[in-house]
Amino acid sequence: MTTYDKADYKESFVVKGKLALPYQYFAGRTGSKFLIALRDKKKILGVRCNTCKKVFVPPRQTCEKCFEDLSENWVELSDKGVVTDFTVVRYAEPHQPVKPPYILAMIKLDGADTPFAHIVRGVAPSKMKEGLKVQAQFAKKTTSTIMDIECFRPASGQFELGYSYDELEIGMSASFTKTITETDVYLFAGISGDFNPMHLNEEFAKKTPFGTRIAHGALPQSLIASVLGMKLPGLGTVALEINTRFLGPTYFGDTVTASAEVIEKLEKKRWVRLELRWINQHGKLIGIGDALVIPPAPAG
Amino acid sequence: MSRRVGICAVAQSTYEREKWYERFQGMCLEILEPLLEQTGLDFAEDTGINMTVSVSDDVFDARTISDNGMTDVLGGHLRCEEKIAQEGIQAVYYGLAAILSGHQDVVLIIGHCKESQGESRNQATHLAFDPFYTRPVGLDFLAAAGLQARAYQKAKGLTDDQMAQVVVRCREKAAKNPLTQDLAPITAQDVKNSPLLADPIRQLHTYPISDGSVGMILASEERAKKICKNPIWITGVGNCMDSFFMGDRDIASNFALKKAAQKAYKRAGIDNPNGAFDVIEVSDQYAYQQPMWMEGLGLADSGPDWLDRGGPDKDRVNLSGGMLAGNPLLLGGLVRAAEAATQLMGQAGERQVDGAKRALAHGVMGPAGQFHSVLILERD
Repeated sequence: MTTYDKADYKESFVVKGKLALPYQYFAGRTGSKFLIALRDKKKILGVRCNTCKKVFVPPRQTCEKCFEDLSENWVELSDKGVVTDFTVVRYAEPHQPVKPPYILAMIKLDGADTPFAHIVRGVAPSKMKEGLKVQAQFAKKTTSTIMDIECFRPASGQFELGYSYDELEIGMSASFTKTITETDVYLFAGISGDFNPMHLNEEFAKKTPFGTRIAHGALPQSLIASVLGMKLPGLGTVALEINTRFLGPTYFGDTVTASAEVIEKLEKKRWVRLELRWINQHGKLIGIGDALVIPPAPAG
Repeated sequence: MSRRVGICAVAQSTYEREKWYERFQGMCLEILEPLLEQTGLDFAEDTGINMTVSVSDDVFDARTISDNGMTDVLGGHLRCEEKIAQEGIQAVYYGLAAILSGHQDVVLIIGHCKESQGESRNQATHLAFDPFYTRPVGLDFLAAAGLQARAYQKAKGLTDDQMAQVVVRCREKAAKNPLTQDLAPITAQDVKNSPLLADPIRQLHTYPISDGSVGMILASEERAKKICKNPIWITGVGNCMDSFFMGDRDIASNFALKKAAQKAYKRAGIDNPNGAFDVIEVSDQYAYQQPMWMEGLGLADSGPDWLDRGGPDKDRVNLSGGMLAGNPLLLGGLVRAAEAATQLMGQAGERQVDGAKRALAHGVMGPAGQFHSVLILERD
């Protein structure tokens, strides 16, 4: 095989160049109608083939299978849809519309049969899933292209569900901490109707074993609700039982941490038992208990 | 087929990361000279080569009518020349058609591409998309492949380990192919540690940027038998172009490849492709494509676990190292055809399969496998 010595080529050079041609692309009547509706009315249109019943986006004049003329078969589509496929683009090129990493997805709009490619923002790549419901965010500045939709974002009214039964493991834990103020106690008295003077009347409270007003027991206890319902297992959880044993009082100004830890998985019912603990700012255990919950069913 | 058409000679350059020492013309001369030498042919209209089909691409060459400054080397000067810019293996189809038509008897095919001269091949493939709907969202072939790889993973369960396995084996095979780039051997862990480019595609899952050229001589049966002792017969050919918009297709389904393969098998008289080939060369531009294309060819029906069952070695797939060992995108299928023919000629050196009689070569172009070609070659 021939070998080449760079020294023999030292009088050779390369010329820097570029293949570029300013150009006007005609969008056609069908494409123009789609792009004008998108630009001026923020409406996304598709075309329906009455033979195969498919609704196509982007639009085209003729059905590729039935050869039906689709140019008058316009249908208005939702600005919401679902992600059918996606990738995370992590390499950089000048032709990309946003800085990588970004999610490039195939999005099937409600009412359409063919998905089309666009950018999804507002979701961490590690949390991205096929089946995510997304909604178009229209661009402020028009380019008369599909980028008059700036991107898609998770559709409003969507929540990320908590851990499912299979995702939960024994030993997983979560907590919530809050300072209990006089205001909290007065509001809680109003909410519960418990106007017991040991919570509201300092002179009376001086005569109790605590020597001062204390919070209702159910007030620090209720902090566990946010742990179970919003953290562990999280959204979608149904609480079946919460048992509490009070070990000490909560004074006004105390900071209480309510925590839960998964201790048992009930395979048959697919329920989970958690151990509960309440600790104040001095590290004193003021309550213990347990809870039985139904974790959320997995999404999708 | 009414008239048999044979491959009489094949020539390939080395494939390198950068052929800094050569222009396109020089790269083609490197192919033309050995082809003329092997066959003893010249360009006499009645006794020599009648027609040339060149393969090159205006964008990768950054000049339009990319063949026209080099027709002297292509054998097209002052005579008949045609150009293929889609996928190199199409030139074989073109040459076959010209000979079957009876208009030509001897066809020269030469393809070249120098990917190193462009700033980025992603920028080149980005231009394959339309200006209204798909270019503005930044699509290029790599991003499209990411979408397809994930869709295939979801449908068939292809794993990161299996993709790593494809790359490791390709490098082992490439080490036995003197034409490939100098690619260091790697471990599966190296592959899995390489950065993600378009999930789940990693850097080491992608074919290396490469420069190279390849060619062959086709002739009608009568002429072929006079030119060489054992022509390699083209017994089956099929191709299929899927929809342009990816959303119109099922990108995990191999629709176009299945159709292309069915046509080629039918023409070659093959009822069951399993076990029908001594050598198989598929265009695996990305690691996920090797099992996926094999499934599409009907040669790995169970999907990616074909890899775990030692399928690539059992079926003698990409003994050359395949696309992952590096040849230009544009020439992928033509290089596969050249490799398959070289095997059937018994000239594949260390990678030779003893007594190989029938081979399959596959080419693919367009985003996420839009267009597939299947070519079946046999020797008497």
